[in-house]
Amino acid sequence: MTTFSNVIGGTLHGRTARGRALFVAALALVSAGAATLAPITSATARPPVPPSPRVGIACTEGSGGVAGEPIFNLTTKTGYISLPDGNTAFMWGYSSGFDDFQHPGPVLCVNEGDTVTVILHNTLPDASSVAFPGQEGVTADGNPAQPQFNGGGTMTSLTDTAAADGGTVTYSFVASDPGTYLYESGTNPEKQVRMGLFGALIVRPAMGADFAYNRADSRFDPAEEFMVLLSEIDPYQHQRVEQGNSFNMNNYHPRYWLINGRGFPDSIADNDASWLPTQPYGALAQIGEYDATGHPLPGMARYLNVGTEDYPFHPHGNNGLVIGRDGRPLEGPAGEDLSFEKFAINIGPGQTWDVIFKWYDAEGYDPVTNPVPVTVPSMANEEIGVFYSGSPYLGTRETLPPGIQTTNQCGEYYIISHNHALFQITSWGANMTGPITYMRIDPPAPNDCG
Amino acid sequence: MSHPARRPAGDASRHQGLITRASIDRRRFLQLAGGAAAVTGATTWVGSWLTPEFAQAAVANPDLYLAGTDGWMYLPPTPALPPFHPDNLAPSPFTTYIFGFRNVTGLTETQKDNQKNKAQHSAPQFWVNQFDPENPVDFKVQVTNLGLALRPDLFDAHTLHWHGFRNVIPFFDGEPTGSVAVPTGRNFTYVYRPRDPGTYMYHCHVEDVEHVHMGMTGLVFVRPLQDGQSIGGHTKFMYNDGDGSTGFDREFSMFLSEVWTESHWADAHIQLPEWSDYRADFSLLNGRVYPDTIAPNGSIDPFNPVRDTDGDLIAPPGHPELKYQPHSSLVNCNAGDQVALRFANLGFREQAMTTAGIRMRVVGRDATPMRGRDGTDTSYETETLNIGPGESYDAIFTAPAHQGPGAFDTYMLYNRNYTRSNNLAPGGFGGQATEIRVYAGGVAEQAYPNDWGV
Repeated sequence: MTTFSNVIGGTLHGRTARGRALFVAALALVSAGAATLAPITSATARPPVPPSPRVGIACTEGSGGVAGEPIFNLTTKTGYISLPDGNTAFMWGYSSGFDDFQHPGPVLCVNEGDTVTVILHNTLPDASSVAFPGQEGVTADGNPAQPQFNGGGTMTSLTDTAAADGGTVTYSFVASDPGTYLYESGTNPEKQVRMGLFGALIVRPAMGADFAYNRADSRFDPAEEFMVLLSEIDPYQHQRVEQGNSFNMNNYHPRYWLINGRGFPDSIADNDASWLPTQPYGALAQIGEYDATGHPLPGMARYLNVGTEDYPFHPHGNNGLVIGRDGRPLEGPAGEDLSFEKFAINIGPGQTWDVIFKWYDAEGYDPVTNPVPVTVPSMANEEIGVFYSGSPYLGTRETLPPGIQTTNQCGEYYIISHNHALFQITSWGANMTGPITYMRIDPPAPNDCG
Repeated sequence: MSHPARRPAGDASRHQGLITRASIDRRRFLQLAGGAAAVTGATTWVGSWLTPEFAQAAVANPDLYLAGTDGWMYLPPTPALPPFHPDNLAPSPFTTYIFGFRNVTGLTETQKDNQKNKAQHSAPQFWVNQFDPENPVDFKVQVTNLGLALRPDLFDAHTLHWHGFRNVIPFFDGEPTGSVAVPTGRNFTYVYRPRDPGTYMYHCHVEDVEHVHMGMTGLVFVRPLQDGQSIGGHTKFMYNDGDGSTGFDREFSMFLSEVWTESHWADAHIQLPEWSDYRADFSLLNGRVYPDTIAPNGSIDPFNPVRDTDGDLIAPPGHPELKYQPHSSLVNCNAGDQVALRFANLGFREQAMTTAGIRMRVVGRDATPMRGRDGTDTSYETETLNIGPGESYDAIFTAPAHQGPGAFDTYMLYNRNYTRSNNLAPGGFGGQATEIRVYAGGVAEQAYPNDWGV
């Protein structure tokens, strides 16, 4: 373990900078086996950071400049997130590099076979760590990562730690199997994971970034790749931690449930929405209608559960095809396909499920050539939804009565996805919030969706 | 739960919007509606005056006509959970306030309107044949909203969401934010061409935390095109298996739901529950708890309903308290029968449905046969099905040989999570449990799913 309080002094970067120069500097020192990092006072000549996509997975790529050896710096920080009932929650989080607090941690994207280095810088008042469930052969500061025990033989951490108030530890592993994984604190996880020390790790297969696994039938449209990271919050636990007090887990009682660190309606805002400065990840699944020739590839949803019980997530209008779980493809010993369709993705604590999905109008309804076979009631005889275009048909908008507000832009469809343990789509009294998002289907191009 | 204070401005202006939609100019509108007062006074509006189509004209002869309303049902009054259970507002012999659907197909307008405050739980079970492109037939379900008799302060809309229906447009999905919902007194017709056999569920999706929990939930399934062919000694199947592996002799639906008495009481008493305090006080099988689950069926064939002259349900024989819970869960079968069980869970907790002494083969899940994309058989045997909220499972068991000496052998089907298999009563086995009775023979062919055959 090393200390780094002198490293970060005066070199905190903005979120968008992602501290890449610092990553490089840290790499040099780590690979030299240095026990103490030298102060860094200049952070000039950082390469420009490409903007995150507005929707879909916003990868944080490793730095270090050596192909196949990505390096990630993670810094534990404290901060606040906004919740749908207007409340805020005090959180702990892994920030990207030395950036400001964010929740959840950055989405670490690597390639199969990469030797991944993760350097944890701990600013918290407790020792902390990163555990990598699903990865094998993880080292910490060059030695096999091990559970930690105190002098009395009692386990204190599931893996090696970075000391409180400035410690560091460097983990490394070979990302041998493609898939979706969690990373999370292994130290007092009942406290630290609950406080927000978790994130997603994506290992892309050798077949390419548009495949989930090394199977031809796991191909998806890389423009339609989404994360569904599900979590929960007991606000009293967070309050106790903020006040520096202990919390009796026997009293644990979640009041909030989140998707990608947000509750609906924040969940469908863009990535990096300005009014959610610490919650960078949206959950809107914007896709095109499936078409055998024009748009043949499915989308991909990577589900992760960091909560304490099964979350039954229900996408309307399509059965997701579960093609992998916990970083392994669903296949038999001879490559048999063991994938299965689900309309309720019932994902357990600590599990990840990889799901490909598509949507199309099975009837091909069209206002002229193939109208819906019922008389559409007058709008006075309907209650109109806030995402409705006024028309049953994709790409068609109708004038809504004055006073009826819609967010519909171009006749696109909004098809909901939500946790079906329905008491969990509430936020301590604010109903119809929490882990809800939408599949947005845009009309075929050219369209005026902007 | 809708609160009037949120909406009157929008409602008033919505009516102005109608003018352009209905191609009636403003001057004509003012003549018809009696002037500007009608424009601003939401409560004076009579929408159907100006609409080009009357609400009833939405469709002719739907295959099924469902009405959403409120009502009362029965759960064992012991133990009491004061003040929530039994509800002191409940008319005898009932205990629990619900929202629910009723089958009003074929009723007169007067009979239909009589069903306000007479909801049932679970909702009417129904089924559809798989859509056949060679012989295309639309399945149409008309939904109306009779309003809430006990809560006239609410004017919640309702919808029908067919949970799990693939590749449906939002207009027919019944999810109200992405499309439309049915206000009180109005109608909407959902059109289905089901292409995927299997077990589904349906529910109202308006404010569904509340409407689902209050009881607007039921089971629906799709019969495969393969039905009627003779394959593997069967003519009735759960899926288009091609080999008879999903064939059965009789079939029973097991719809799982829950009652948190505080929330039901709160709706009746104009209160709001804190949903994160949710607990399942009662876990229900087809809308009842054991031993009521083995009481007789009411009239549950949705396509041949029998009702009284007012259009109301007729209570199962000897059980006036189960008048609005018509679905029995008793499984009667002959030794050697292949028995299909369709499970669907719209409770908020995972259940662990167990058959003691009988192994089930899981042949489908979420309306999908247990086959990989390359045809690999992924079916499996178990005695316990863990069924999460919103999941369905299709299982088949072979009825064991009759042992005797009684007329039938009894096997229990129950929730292995024992907190869901009691009624909070000391020593009482209840909740999500029923009996499987295996006879040596003589159980007649079923007239409809869940038919006892004796």
